[in-house]
Amino acid sequence: MTAVELKRFPEGVYDYVMKPIAIASCFVIVALLWTFPLQHVIAYPFVFLFFGAIMGSAWFGGFMAGIMSVIMSGLLVTYFFIPPLFSMSVAKDSQSFLAAFLVCAIAISIVGSARRRSEGAVRLARDQLEEMVRERTAELEASNREIRESERQLRILTEAIPQQIWRADASGHIEYCNQHLRTYIGQRGGEELGDSFYGVLHPEDEALYRQGFEKAMRTGEGFEVETRVRGADGDYRWFLARAIPQHTEDGNIARWYGVHIDIEEQRRMQQNLKDAQENLARLSRILSMAEMAASIAHELNQPLTAVVTHAYACREWLNSTPVNIERASTTAEKIVQESTRASAVVKRVRALFRKDKEAPVREPADLNQLIRELARLLREDAIRHGVSIRLDLAGDLALVDIDPVQIQQVLLNLATNAMEAMMAKDGQRELTIHSQNQNGREVLVSVADTGCGVPADLVEKVFDPFFTTKSQGTGMGLALCRTIIEEHDGRLWFSNSPQGGAVFQFTLKSGDDH
Amino acid sequence: MQQGETVFIVDDDTSIGEGLKNLLESVGIKAEYFDSAEAFQKNWDRSRAGCLLLDARLPGMSGVELQEELNAARIGIPVIFMTAHGDVPMVRKVLKAGAVEFLTKPFGMEELLSAINVAFDYDRLFRANAAIEQSIHARVNLLTDREREVLAMVTAGLLNKQIAARLNLSEITVKLHRRHVMDKMQAASLADLVKMCERIKLESWKAAESAE
Repeated sequence: MTAVELKRFPEGVYDYVMKPIAIASCFVIVALLWTFPLQHVIAYPFVFLFFGAIMGSAWFGGFMAGIMSVIMSGLLVTYFFIPPLFSMSVAKDSQSFLAAFLVCAIAISIVGSARRRSEGAVRLARDQLEEMVRERTAELEASNREIRESERQLRILTEAIPQQIWRADASGHIEYCNQHLRTYIGQRGGEELGDSFYGVLHPEDEALYRQGFEKAMRTGEGFEVETRVRGADGDYRWFLARAIPQHTEDGNIARWYGVHIDIEEQRRMQQNLKDAQENLARLSRILSMAEMAASIAHELNQPLTAVVTHAYACREWLNSTPVNIERASTTAEKIVQESTRASAVVKRVRALFRKDKEAPVREPADLNQLIRELARLLREDAIRHGVSIRLDLAGDLALVDIDPVQIQQVLLNLATNAMEAMMAKDGQRELTIHSQNQNGREVLVSVADTGCGVPADLVEKVFDPFFTTKSQGTGMGLALCRTIIEEHDGRLWFSNSPQGGAVFQFTLKSGDDH
Repeated sequence: MQQGETVFIVDDDTSIGEGLKNLLESVGIKAEYFDSAEAFQKNWDRSRAGCLLLDARLPGMSGVELQEELNAARIGIPVIFMTAHGDVPMVRKVLKAGAVEFLTKPFGMEELLSAINVAFDYDRLFRANAAIEQSIHARVNLLTDREREVLAMVTAGLLNKQIAARLNLSEITVKLHRRHVMDKMQAASLADLVKMCERIKLESWKAAESAE
């Protein structure tokens, strides 16, 4: 600190003493030299050039130079130009002039130096401003560079992630797709994308996707939907499409970020698992059927064997010589007993199948709702088999008193049969489920397919137990359906539709209030 | 049908058992009925001729197990199996174990009678064999220890001279023993004697001892 002050001291002397004196002397001498010749041209003591000198000194040298200049000018003017000339004394009539001169000189000096000060301050401020602008510009450039770099890295990242990523504006217009997505749907597809992905979605999934997205737009929440997307090779794969909105500060949606996750393998595995489970269930059903059949067969076989054996014996007793009437008669009695036993077995088996041990469940239910649930249940299966499900349901359908589980079973059985019936045939595959009120006392439901119908010679048999045309069927499905419907005091019947295909119809009694 | 041969019926279902008994009696075959394998074992003795008509599935000891026990005890009564539902492995098993026939209920009378005929034939053959063996055994039991030694050597093909040398006897004495053996065994020739020994699996003298 001390060193700096020591160093600054001579500078101060220079700034406040030497420099002002030099500047003031220069200006004043120039003014003096110019005034002498002009003295002779103009009669009156011409001192105005000194004002210029003072102003110049104050301007270039500052306040100190101005004051020095005023003092020097005062002395010189007094000496050279104020009578008596060449003396420091002032004539009486020139005193006011000198005073006016001095006042003017001081005023000019002050104004000049003030002007200089303010100019300096302005310049300083301007310099500082420029400096600040430069700094800011540099900062801005640096941060721009950073942003560009992080953007580039982000872009690299989105391109490198092995998922399909996209960005869309607030209205859903696709702005950006990453490389994976572009490759998957093909470059041409990418150009065609435009407004949305609807063009590359499977037609059956498009509505679902649209609903999901529109709902997301309304609520401003993300959406998620499983959909099939067409690849560049024209094949569809299953994707989990997921999008989240980015909000502006005022809560509006700014843009959408989305990702399509390939779940084809997952779906396939799920499907395989489901198939395996179904096979297992079917197998266990068949097995238990087989076990039951074996046990029934055994139960019946015993008395039948006895009957046959006694019958042979009876014949032999009658053929013997002499005829043994006594033994033949007791043997015939045995035959009666054993036959009775056989029929008791049959009765017991029938009792086994009739569930009159428990009170049946009856609760008012909306058949339309059951049918809609069924359609939802079958959606996957239907898609897989290329079957479209059409529901044609009466709006004012009466409630029915039923066991919903059993009726659902009937519906499922009929619908599954219908879908399987259509597998054998190409062309349009449509499953139609129709409901309506009938006679004001019943509800009619029909399940129609576009399969081949049932050949005329088999029509009589479709409801017979153990009758089946399916390699894996038990033949119990429709028989059971009819039993269930009849237990509900309804009817289940079948007809071939004129357009080809089979129609199964059943009625159920509607509630008393209708 | 020969008198004295009986069909032993084992079935848990009384009506079937009684029915079969009735049927067999109507064609003049003696029949006895047991409602379990255990009852049969308790009340039957091996001297009784005939065959066993056995249900494969019985509560307690099953028919298959009864057959196994009879085989283990070397009781040769022929067995006819019957069942309402026989599976292939079971059929194979019991037939391999010597069952005469496998009948599926309900079966016809002809089927049953022909199976019983076959079984009776087996039983007769078996019993005849057993009788012969038994008489041979009885004859062997009459022999003295020395005579048995001589028998073993004779059937092994040794000459009198060799036997005498082995037993430190004179050839005359050996000849005498040999005559006694032939008499007691009621053998007409050496070949006859060898056959008898073969039949009851009597061991002949082992050449191993004579390794000189």
